Amino acid sequence: MAKCVQSVQEFVQDSFVPMVAVLCSEEAERVTRKNNLNFAELLRPFCRLTSEGHIRDPNNQLLIVKNLRVCVNNLSPNPSTASGVLNPLQRRVLNEVVLSCQSQEGTLSSVITAGDYHLSVSATTPWFEAYRESFLQSMPASDHEFLNHYLACLLVVSSTEAVPVEQFLKLSQEQHRVQHSGEYTYPKWFIPNTLKYYVLLHDIEEGEEQRADTLYEDMKQRYGSQGCYLLKFNSRKFSTEDEEQIPDPWSQYLHRNSLHNQDLIGEVAPTSNEEDSMGEVDCHHSAEKGAVTNILDNHPLQLDTPNSSGSLETPSGVSTTLKKGSRDWESVTGASGSHGTCLTLNDHDRIRQFIQEFTFRGLLPHIEKNIRQLNDQLLSRKGLSRSLFTATKKWFGGGKVPEKSVNEPKNTCGLLYPPEAPELQIRKMADLCFLVQHYELAYSCYHTAKKDFLSDQAMLYAAGALEMAAVSAFLQAGVARPYPAHYMDTAIQTYREVCKNMVLAERCTLFSAEILKSQGKYSDAATLLIKMTSEDSDLRSALLLEQAAHCFINMRNTMVRKFAFHMILAGHRFSKAGQRKHALRCYCQAMQVYKERGWSLAEDHINFTIGRQSFTLNKPEDAITAFRQILTNGSRQTASQQCAFLREYLYVYKNVMQENEANLPQLPLPCIISSATRVYFGHERRLAEGEKQAATHVSLDQEYDQDLAAMWFHLEEQLVTAANRGVVPVNFLPTQFCLNSQTDNLRHPLAVVEEPIVVEVTFKNPLKVSLALSNLSLLWTFTPDFASPGQRTAEELPSHTVTNEQNPALVMNDKERKDNTVTTETILEFHMGPEETKMARIRLLPHRTGQLNIVGVAYHLAAAFPGEMAQSEGNQVTDLIRVCGRQDFKIQGPRLNQTKEDKISVRHGPDRRLDPIITPPMPLIEVFFLQFPTALLCGEIRKAYVEFCNVSGVALCGLRVASTHPHFFTFGSQATTPLTPLSPSSAENCSAYKTLVTPFQPGSVEPEMLVSAEDFNQPTGVIDIPINGSVLQPGESTQLPLWLRGPDHEGVHEINFLFYYENTKKGNKISHRVLRHTVFICASRSLNVQASAYHSSAPHSSLDNKDSNGTLVFIDVENINMSEAGVREFHIVQVSSSSQHWRLHKFINPAKDKDCKLTSRERAKLCFKATQCRPHQANSEVKKYTFADLNLGNERIISSLTPCGDFFFRCCRTTGSHQVDVAPSRTLSSSRSQSSVSTEDKALEMTKIVKKCNELDLNLIVIWKVHILVKINLVT
Amino acid sequence: MAVCIAVIAKENYPLYIRSVPTQNELKFHYTVHTSLDVVEEKISAVGKSLGDQRELYLGLLYPTEDYKVYGYVTNSKVKFVIVVDSSNTSLRDNEIRSMFRKLHNSFTDVMCNPFHNPGDPIQSKAFDGIVSGMMTQTG
Repeated sequence: MAKCVQSVQEFVQDSFVPMVAVLCSEEAERVTRKNNLNFAELLRPFCRLTSEGHIRDPNNQLLIVKNLRVCVNNLSPNPSTASGVLNPLQRRVLNEVVLSCQSQEGTLSSVITAGDYHLSVSATTPWFEAYRESFLQSMPASDHEFLNHYLACLLVVSSTEAVPVEQFLKLSQEQHRVQHSGEYTYPKWFIPNTLKYYVLLHDIEEGEEQRADTLYEDMKQRYGSQGCYLLKFNSRKFSTEDEEQIPDPWSQYLHRNSLHNQDLIGEVAPTSNEEDSMGEVDCHHSAEKGAVTNILDNHPLQLDTPNSSGSLETPSGVSTTLKKGSRDWESVTGASGSHGTCLTLNDHDRIRQFIQEFTFRGLLPHIEKNIRQLNDQLLSRKGLSRSLFTATKKWFGGGKVPEKSVNEPKNTCGLLYPPEAPELQIRKMADLCFLVQHYELAYSCYHTAKKDFLSDQAMLYAAGALEMAAVSAFLQAGVARPYPAHYMDTAIQTYREVCKNMVLAERCTLFSAEILKSQGKYSDAATLLIKMTSEDSDLRSALLLEQAAHCFINMRNTMVRKFAFHMILAGHRFSKAGQRKHALRCYCQAMQVYKERGWSLAEDHINFTIGRQSFTLNKPEDAITAFRQILTNGSRQTASQQCAFLREYLYVYKNVMQENEANLPQLPLPCIISSATRVYFGHERRLAEGEKQAATHVSLDQEYDQDLAAMWFHLEEQLVTAANRGVVPVNFLPTQFCLNSQTDNLRHPLAVVEEPIVVEVTFKNPLKVSLALSNLSLLWTFTPDFASPGQRTAEELPSHTVTNEQNPALVMNDKERKDNTVTTETILEFHMGPEETKMARIRLLPHRTGQLNIVGVAYHLAAAFPGEMAQSEGNQVTDLIRVCGRQDFKIQGPRLNQTKEDKISVRHGPDRRLDPIITPPMPLIEVFFLQFPTALLCGEIRKAYVEFCNVSGVALCGLRVASTHPHFFTFGSQATTPLTPLSPSSAENCSAYKTLVTPFQPGSVEPEMLVSAEDFNQPTGVIDIPINGSVLQPGESTQLPLWLRGPDHEGVHEINFLFYYENTKKGNKISHRVLRHTVFICASRSLNVQASAYHSSAPHSSLDNKDSNGTLVFIDVENINMSEAGVREFHIVQVSSSSQHWRLHKFINPAKDKDCKLTSRERAKLCFKATQCRPHQANSEVKKYTFADLNLGNERIISSLTPCGDFFFRCCRTTGSHQVDVAPSRTLSSSRSQSSVSTEDKALEMTKIVKKCNELDLNLIVIWKVHILVKINLVT
Repeated sequence: MAVCIAVIAKENYPLYIRSVPTQNELKFHYTVHTSLDVVEEKISAVGKSLGDQRELYLGLLYPTEDYKVYGYVTNSKVKFVIVVDSSNTSLRDNEIRSMFRKLHNSFTDVMCNPFHNPGDPIQSKAFDGIVSGMMTQTG
């Protein structure tokens, strides 16, 4: 239980105080009304006595009565009876009391630490205290106890009255009628001869003081000085302009009352419809004039519904009207002035004095007298044996008729005593003792009474005696009597089960729990409180559960989870009782325990409830936070549950959105995996256009590969080196087209104006429900770049940042300006399946140079319901709960690990992939390939065409290409290009060569050609592309032939090209651009060529005389093709030689076979004679290669020209570089088709050769062609 | 037999919680969570008096109107909670004890799995099977 303002002793003591009734004459009523108060109200603030009173107990011991309070109420007789349940009106009042008393946020919370839980719990629960006070006040007076029966009656008459004595007489008679006529069962009176105290009111402003004094003297004569009083008040006129500040002691007492009054007024209209008698309504009005608390005790309009949940279940509407009403009421009272405006501080003192006088002179002696009387009665009865007395009673039916209650058929509490039954006298005395704080005597009396009642089986009385015995035992100061908790337990159980009186049981529980709490028995208190919760009253259950929860948290072994659980139960009951704020508070407190501890199901449930309650309490922000938690927590709810959550969230969200429209709020769904965001700069490319095949370049579909990136980086470095004449610029950075988490994002990437930026956002749907996103677009801010010379329109705009972050619907007029800056593409529909991870690609097209920051995405979110999506009206349904929101990218850079600080803490570098700098226009090239093969035989030469197309508005130059396989292709050298046919149509015969028709002449000396290697020279790896004029103007395109040679090794080869070009204007931020292309070539086996050289041992023939030192070169050719790719046979067309020192001289075909055909697995041996070149050729300054062609067919192919020469020199260079010093005896077995074989044969037979080189440096080029069976598939 | 079986980690978050599908799962989550208070109370009470020689079985934690909640704590402070229908009077203390022992053995097997990361929710078919057996047995 939470801490209370009062101590327990004070609380219990204050709950039972002497009751005093007030009966006013009309005139007196009028006089007091001046102060906007009735007489009882006027006295109320002064009812607590500050000084000590004295009383003598029956043994003449003097007792001190401290801190006594009397309760003054207007007398309002009515015939209704008390019952065991509160009537609806009382319930409503209690409800209202609790509702009006809310916790002040953050003021009274204490932090409790238990284990690893740190909870902030409200230390006090003022609403509970308010409820308790109101509840105890509204306790109906019961027959079985006398504590709240009236002890005395104040008869008040004004001095302005004509004959005040007559009035006193009238009032006295009235009181007597009420008490003794039997018409009214209520109010109840303590003792038959009630103390009457005569009060003469004297209005100082109105009446004559003289008259009042004489009247008072007269009264003293009549009633004795102890029984009357002259109260002078109203010593000033009512004036609103009087600024004198007088404290208003009534406000705290009357504020609640005004609420009550208002409730009563509100009550009339609905109930009068149900209740037919108008008389009762009138009665109700008259009652309203009286003290409010009296009315509450017994209201005439008691509905006969024991289950009043009906009125409580629909509280929202009622309570709002009530609230409104009460506000009106307050405003009315505020307008009519505050209370007690005619009273000065002196008057306050007079009233205080009056109460004191009345209590000490009138009330206490009266009580004292009665106690003594009762004591005497009891003592006289003591002579009889108790047991005998009761036994005779039982046997002879006694003097008392056991009487069942007529009014309460439910009342099964055994017999009822008549009001003046002797058994009740002891109880009466006990109550009197209790009221004057003589707890010791009270306890012994209660104890005796309890025994009597129990033996009579009068259960209700027994329970009452037990309850009070326990309370008085507790209140006995300094006596070592333990608090008899079992008395209370028995009493509660009896009230509940036997008497079915929940109200009394509740009162008993409240006391017992409070007392147990004060003794540190929290666990017992909690058990009691929890037991008291029941279905009949949600409000009570809620409050008690909450107190129980507080008990759990205050225990020595703090039971945090029980606290939380009972808080939730309390919250649930509060919400059932319509106390939304309290419900929300309970759930929020419980949330602290469940939060982030893995109990997701419970957590979701609480969040959901908090969300709902917050929303209904008009705290949409809190609601959204709560709902957001459910949706993003990775909840394990079922799909239907999540669907409900989502729908609720969207609904709330939509409502919030309507309230604030300026900014797009953040949406929690779907999750954006920020680090997976990829940014691509450039156009999306079509890969094929008719027979043209575009360069593959980079696309977002490719995965990032570290090795590949390194390879491209290397190629680009080569190109840049070549472009800058062998030096890599200091600020060289590889071009990155696609940025992701693995790329280097430390610098701002460079994007080109009018070229799109594609951002790939990875969305993850954590729910089991489909989501429908729509109008997906990027949010950005843009800072124009004024320094840029290209920006002429810069001065038109004020120098501020342009952004599209505002709600797009609101700023339509801005749209044009934004579109002038950056065009934002919108994806209209984006559907996400349950638990799906999906990428969205959104484009931006910058139109101006400057700094662009991509901030986040904006979209409309709606839940997609599978059935509805298909239907046409489904769209309308989804429209209803579609909300607009945004999500920002939160990209964290890589973790820093450089300095010590970096290593010992977690730091992250910047990630600028979403902050590109837009630069002025750059050239852009498109490269297309025509007739590009996908499969080649090893060494096969194929001609293809490549087309370069400048698609930008800027001229480009310096076109170069680098490749991982420089052997694979050639554009033809500058020297030979003009000779090659430019049209692709001439390549019909698949002959890539320049040929001459020459009939085969065996034995003839073959023609030879001298070619300088420089003609074919190219820097390593990088090839300049020979385009006309070396500049490609905007929109221009050019086509070049391209020869390809199948790789030497079979298998699939990945060949990468990197095309390089520059702007013709220098000095841009982007110095160059590159274009990537990757092809895959499948190479299949063709011919295996082995060559060997032997010194000719045959005698020189006449013809060869001059070349005495010739050698024989044997070439073994084997067809190792396994009929792959439809190859049938190979024709060896020509063998050429190329060397600086040797040349092939003659073809000696041992088989005399004219043409050399090789079918599968066939071998052939070709024999040639090689002779040395003429010395002058070999000695010339420029190294020149002698090419000699020996054709076996009818055509001679000029091997020294493109492409043969190109490939030869390219291979030569690489092999040559390898073999400078090494001269192993090796034959290149893998010389295929047109393979250049460098055969270095340390021939042992060549001893006779006295040349400086004892090795043969001869390259052979075998040219072949292939017959391919074209398979024709007949499609039938 | 049992209507809800839960395994709670040392740090009091659920490793495994399953209840009969016919009833409100949320209710059992709350019940089990609240029972942890009693478990902690019992552990702290026992720990002082008996030292290390502690019985793992905690007995009846508390009865509610509809259910009885039993607890068991391993030496590594992993808690097992079994919720039994109150109407099921045939269930003796000994049987509950043996259920816990079976559960503990199966849990040990799960922990012995080298691929199981201690502290992760239990996802084991064998364990599922044992639990299902306890929940369906005798209905």
